[in-house]
Amino acid sequence: MKIRWLILFFPVVSVVVVSLLVKEHAANAASPQGAAAATTAASAATAVANNSGALAIPDTTLAINSAQPMSQRVVHYEIDAKYDAIKHIVDATETLTYHNITGQALDHFPFHLYQNAFQPNATWVRETKVAGGRDVGYEKWEDKDYGSEEIKSLEVVGQGDLTSQVRYIAPDDGNKDDKTVVDVHVPKPIAAGQYVQFKIAFQTKFPETQARSGWKHDFVLGGQWFPKVGVFWHGAWNCHQYHAFTEFFADFGVYDVKLTVPQFEVVGASGVRVGETNNPDNTKTVAFHGDDIHDFAWTASPRYKLKEDGIYQGQMGPVQMRILMQPAHWGQVGRHEKILKQSLEQFESRYGPYPYKTITLVDPESAEAGGMEYPTFITGDTSWFMPEGLKLPEIVIEHEFGHQYWYGMVATNEFEDAWMDEGINSYSEVKVLDSILGRKTSGIDLAGIMLGEREQQRLGYTTVADLDPIAQKAYDYYSFNSYGGITYGKTASVLLTLESIIGEDTMAKAMRTYFMKNRFTHPTKADFLNTIQEVSGKDLKWYFDQAIYGSQVMDYKVLRIESFPVNWYEDKKKSAEKDEKNTVYRSYVWLQRKEDFVMPVEVEIKFDNGEKIREHWDGVSRWTAFTYEKKAKVESAELDPDHKIQIDRNDFNNSYTAKANEKPRWKVANYWVFMTQWLGQALAWWAV
Amino acid sequence: MAEHQGLLSSGWDRVTRNKRYIIWFYVLNGLLAWFGAGAFNRQAEMVLDHSLQAERLVHRFDLGVLVEMFMRPEFGPTQASFAPALHFAILFFIATALFLPGVLQGYASTYRLPREDFFRACGRNLWRFIRLMIVAGIVMGIAAGALFGIRMPLLKEAAESTNELLPFYVSVITICVIFLVMTVLRIWFDMAQTDIVLSDQRAVRRSIGAAFRHTWRNLGRLLGTYIVTTIVAAIVLLFGLWAWVKIVPPASVIGAIVISQLILLLLLIPRFWQRGIVVTYYLQNMVEPVVVQPLTPAPVVTAPAIAPVIGTAPPETQGA
Repeated sequence: MKIRWLILFFPVVSVVVVSLLVKEHAANAASPQGAAAATTAASAATAVANNSGALAIPDTTLAINSAQPMSQRVVHYEIDAKYDAIKHIVDATETLTYHNITGQALDHFPFHLYQNAFQPNATWVRETKVAGGRDVGYEKWEDKDYGSEEIKSLEVVGQGDLTSQVRYIAPDDGNKDDKTVVDVHVPKPIAAGQYVQFKIAFQTKFPETQARSGWKHDFVLGGQWFPKVGVFWHGAWNCHQYHAFTEFFADFGVYDVKLTVPQFEVVGASGVRVGETNNPDNTKTVAFHGDDIHDFAWTASPRYKLKEDGIYQGQMGPVQMRILMQPAHWGQVGRHEKILKQSLEQFESRYGPYPYKTITLVDPESAEAGGMEYPTFITGDTSWFMPEGLKLPEIVIEHEFGHQYWYGMVATNEFEDAWMDEGINSYSEVKVLDSILGRKTSGIDLAGIMLGEREQQRLGYTTVADLDPIAQKAYDYYSFNSYGGITYGKTASVLLTLESIIGEDTMAKAMRTYFMKNRFTHPTKADFLNTIQEVSGKDLKWYFDQAIYGSQVMDYKVLRIESFPVNWYEDKKKSAEKDEKNTVYRSYVWLQRKEDFVMPVEVEIKFDNGEKIREHWDGVSRWTAFTYEKKAKVESAELDPDHKIQIDRNDFNNSYTAKANEKPRWKVANYWVFMTQWLGQALAWWAV
Repeated sequence: MAEHQGLLSSGWDRVTRNKRYIIWFYVLNGLLAWFGAGAFNRQAEMVLDHSLQAERLVHRFDLGVLVEMFMRPEFGPTQASFAPALHFAILFFIATALFLPGVLQGYASTYRLPREDFFRACGRNLWRFIRLMIVAGIVMGIAAGALFGIRMPLLKEAAESTNELLPFYVSVITICVIFLVMTVLRIWFDMAQTDIVLSDQRAVRRSIGAAFRHTWRNLGRLLGTYIVTTIVAAIVLLFGLWAWVKIVPPASVIGAIVISQLILLLLLIPRFWQRGIVVTYYLQNMVEPVVVQPLTPAPVVTAPAIAPVIGTAPPETQGA
């Protein structure tokens, strides 16, 4: 055959071969469980053993390195769930024992049914369509986006079947189509100090992964998948609907969960694994137990590669690091384990001990499932191509691990004070990653390109600086970008700037105090801010009012610098004859506060004889000026010369040099010229 | 000359004998890019020139500083920088189309082509090239559209696979296939351009037809040379970028300018090499043989007569 025929047929053959290859793989993906389909389709829920004795919350310590419970345990969930890997449906029974420590009788109990958020008229979808969201844009509705969580029956022990008492409520927006919260009226109120036990049968259908929950191919991440009771907080039930930007809030307690899945699945979950039995129908039941946690998540996939021999010797005892990796990412398992261990070390030394016996790190199949925290269970985020210089896996793992402290143990209300978990955690993230990866290189350190994590947080904030304050409910933000930029970026930047006011060491001490004092509780913003004031011994109301409660924006500027001879009026010839060094100059430095955030700042003025002067400006007036008479001209002025302030919206105008320095511009312009030339050449190559 | 040499070596000879064309095009490319970057330069000046913060761009490449520069209101909209750059890139493309006939003429000639002949070739073939580019645009557009149309669903389907690498493999394979097909089309129309210029062919369709036949008959040989030259270009680009990152110190702006311009200059060579290859091919295979009349003895003229004075017509001005 002549070569030209070979060349002609090559593209055709390639397309055919690639098509066949793709179809084969897609077919495999569609039905990975093949033979097990029939067995897993059976969905009869297994009954939970009846709790016949006196009701109580167990004081087990199986999952923690402590002889005593560490939290005031309010709930005990016993869940027996069977997962249908074909239909992505969980059929389960749940026995919830609730301890009424509210100090008052309770006659109704709200429950979250989070998976109902993924329905076309749910508040989650409505808000996402308008204000943006994490993953799915909902350009068009697809069946795979649908999720549901249905209570099949609900019984209160001693009060009979109350299924008919279950009604949907929408406490936040009144959306009658939102089914993410139900309220259950109990005919006989539960007295203060008493226990109540609910027996619930429910069915949950997961959507394709979104909001860090759901399935993708043969992978599933079971997050927010069971009816979860609200939190009685500050004299009322706190049980918000599931919003596009919000996360979660729940009470501490004990979890005993049995998951029945096909035998070929590799399973990971919150807590410690306490048993595994194979069933005759080709399924297996894996049991997990968790102490002093407030949520339970799990994952399963037949293709996970597991590494569980890593042990970290923590301050309270050994911690098993259980890592479930995608096969294509197995080469990065060392990288994952290393940053997880480093994060454990850093958080223990900075804030306090990690008390749990395990930490499970999941490398999920789907990006939409990546970067999520549950108690003792986190998901990372990577891809098969991830050069060492791109620190995405490190950033995500460190961040999600940080949530074990800021959310996991210090369990703030994520609906109402999202900044207290995401923001404080982002601040910790900057500090920890600065230590581990370097201040300027903690985000990117690749081919001469660098980006620090603190700079990333600041940029995230400055794009939305004038939209929302930090202290507001997560679902009240203008947009998803604003929620992200303010909650994460601004909080991190505000706390980093706070270091410049109270000192880095004092801030570190305050953070540790706050953690140790508030772990295993639900602190408020006042608890956090008061701790900082108490530890620092400073009244910081002026700062918190602007930075936390207000939406004031900071932008200080060196407005102008100028120098001219004092005797400028003298004959020029005569002046020239004089020794230049003896000429006395009058120099001015003008500073401006462009926006409405008022904060004292330092300015460093450099003169052309090498002299440096530091001045202090309270920033109260709109502008100020400093005047000097010296035998030197002012060369430059720089606000915040130590670069401690992270919330200034514009760092470029924080300094001004008398003489232009064109080098940076030429460097950047050269890239632009290069790109333009290359673009022209590429066009000419193909089009002429 | 090089009629019996290989295409690659003969094409290379033509490039090296006419280095000035590459220099001209490089200068033109640089000048246009310089104008195109003017807006960016002015915008950057507003933010960078008097700020100490800008120093962070010099001693290393701090991505955060660069991003913040683009975000500053005083920098202005990115579109204001991008649009002129794009327009001047398009201008270079037009200039290439305009001056290419002269280059082809120069490559075919055995002597240094006088400037007036160069520009005459450019002017004479301008309209023909425009027509040819329209045809090429239609053919290549249809081909590219169809191939990318096939690629899209393949990639979508591959993304549904549990094998995370499959979309990448599919992407690479389909891009290679598209590249090969488009290269074949590029050879065809390069050949047509050469035929138009060197045969002084007014009927563009004839050149397209002839070029198609020759491309088809010698596809393996021609495609091989184009692939080799493209690989050379890729190596130049990758090695150049590597050297830029590894050898040039971050603070050396002059070093960065020199290496970047060197890369761009060298990147022009492979395409001119391809032109040289096609000209060689044309001269070896497409040029119509000159029919030499056998010499016959002149008749003996007995009667002396005064021959009529017939002015020798100058060679027809091609492309009139």
